[in-house]
Amino acid sequence: MNPLVTAAVWLALGLLASAALRRRTARLVAVVPLVGAGLTLLVARSSTVAVPLGGLDAITGLDRAGQGVLVAAGLSMTLVILLQPSIDVSVGRTIGIVGAAATIAMASSDPLVTALALTAAVATLVLRWIGQSPGRATLAAGRVTGTGTAALIAASPLLPLAGFTTGDRPIVVGALLATGVAALLAVYPLGGWAAGIMASLRPLDIAPWLILLVPVVLLIGERIPGGVLGDGSPVFEHVLLVVGLGSAVWGGIWAVRGPAAMRYGRVFMADIALCIAAVEGAPVSPALSGALIIVMTHLTVAPILLRSADAGLLWPRRVAWALLSGVPPAPTFWGRLLLLEALAAGNVGSTIAAVIAMAAIFIAAVLACSTRARLRPASGWSRRLPDLAAWLLIAVGIAIGLAPHSVSAFVFGG
Amino acid sequence: MGASAALLSAAGVIGAVVAMMVDGRRAVAIAVVFLAAGLAPTAATFGGAPGVAVLGACAIAAVLLALAGSIAGRILPWLSGLDPTIPAFAPSDRLFGPRSSRAFGAAAAIPVASWVSFNVPIGQITTAVQGLLFPIAYAWTCGVIRLLVARTLEDLAVGVAMVSVPTGTAWLLRSGADSFPGAVLACVAAPLAAFVAGWLNGRGARRTHSRVEAEG
Repeated sequence: MNPLVTAAVWLALGLLASAALRRRTARLVAVVPLVGAGLTLLVARSSTVAVPLGGLDAITGLDRAGQGVLVAAGLSMTLVILLQPSIDVSVGRTIGIVGAAATIAMASSDPLVTALALTAAVATLVLRWIGQSPGRATLAAGRVTGTGTAALIAASPLLPLAGFTTGDRPIVVGALLATGVAALLAVYPLGGWAAGIMASLRPLDIAPWLILLVPVVLLIGERIPGGVLGDGSPVFEHVLLVVGLGSAVWGGIWAVRGPAAMRYGRVFMADIALCIAAVEGAPVSPALSGALIIVMTHLTVAPILLRSADAGLLWPRRVAWALLSGVPPAPTFWGRLLLLEALAAGNVGSTIAAVIAMAAIFIAAVLACSTRARLRPASGWSRRLPDLAAWLLIAVGIAIGLAPHSVSAFVFGG
Repeated sequence: MGASAALLSAAGVIGAVVAMMVDGRRAVAIAVVFLAAGLAPTAATFGGAPGVAVLGACAIAAVLLALAGSIAGRILPWLSGLDPTIPAFAPSDRLFGPRSSRAFGAAAAIPVASWVSFNVPIGQITTAVQGLLFPIAYAWTCGVIRLLVARTLEDLAVGVAMVSVPTGTAWLLRSGADSFPGAVLACVAAPLAAFVAGWLNGRGARRTHSRVEAEG
């Protein structure tokens, strides 16, 4: 199956779900990402990795890692919806469009198509966010992510760089691509918008960005220096290394100091910033394996931690935080160890910054584990199902921690 | 006789400045029409008649889709939403308003566009063009500044259109087999932004209308 067909199904189901479903059947919105993930399994396999630095070319298939990311993200999004206490059916439209855009962005090797797909995803998210909570934070999300996708669009006519690997053109392209990736991953100084929306929006409204879009952009960002970028390659890598490490430290500190409700979002941002810093700082290294293990861990625990603390799941939440703490056998231990190994191969400054960020994330996880919550006792199957699903996710998280490389190879390929 | 770079630049700058300053419910369509008109001489120089046709079709599509979106937003009864022309938040009174910051941004974009034009070649190794990117780089920089200082959804939509049209023109400049498909694809975002803005305007207008009727 062509990825465009999968994207069309994501889109059609999303629009249909938001138009046809009512409050009583709102949980059926989960069908959108579930079917999207299922169809992604059937997509034709591409033997070459799609790096969006080429010319206009037909979309024919997905590579193994891209397929794994999209399937894992779709399943995680399904569980996020199922574990939410209440659902607004109009979010189905957003999920459908973002899922379709993520599929196209992952499959395309053309910078213009990738940039336009990401623009469509971001525009849909921003329209929803501003509609849900008009204010400075949501408008900032529109400004910054719009600028990021504009930078990616602007780079497209300057690519491919064959014959122009030196001089100002590759440097301009590298700077534009770095701006786009940093803005979409909410890496500081372009990351304030993400902290703002976490404070002003419900978790289900943030989830399409956090689960469907961020892993895709991270993987695309990792692949860009592998293409023909010439003098732009060090610009792209060094900019993202520096801002990624700064962002990780900042995110870690605010995960400790900030309000408990925003703690998971802050830890997620810090982890993603560490990942992008490591994969750009040391491209030929274990950094990608570490980043994929961390992404997989977040996709596993996000359905639990994106549910508000007052809505139950006290013990699964605590164990999920333990999985994020970085203490063995948590999967994040292996992921962060590989990132640290990659950064240590670069320079001591990167290593120190990464250790500070990881220590802050550990403290934030310990604080989150010790948080008390007043819960209503669960009775009946309908109330106990979320607990069951949450414990199953915890089991998956523990399995990732016990066999990180095997599970990573199973999901993302060897 | 080659085209005068100064004339091409002047036309592009006029189009971009109008797009930078325009406000109101029809802002996106007006911005796209002026940008397309301003960049048409550049498109004609490098893409010939088909190049002008791409920008012309983009402008016409933006006007028509903005109108269609507005009508659809008024007619479809089961949807309601926010007004794209109302600022997302109310900033405190300041000496300089949003248009002043945009005017300052338009002035600041000149050296940026000038540097890009003189230093960044576009196109393949055998057909690279240098020194003629000024109107495109200027319009694109203005679009990004409009995005960065946006206060409303309408501003964001204008910013997207201002990035889309010059990128389409840049694809015409790069020449090669994928030049026209790329230009068309890049220009698609502008009419879509006009449609979304028109749609939101239509819904906003219907809500205002029903509120007035209820009060009457």
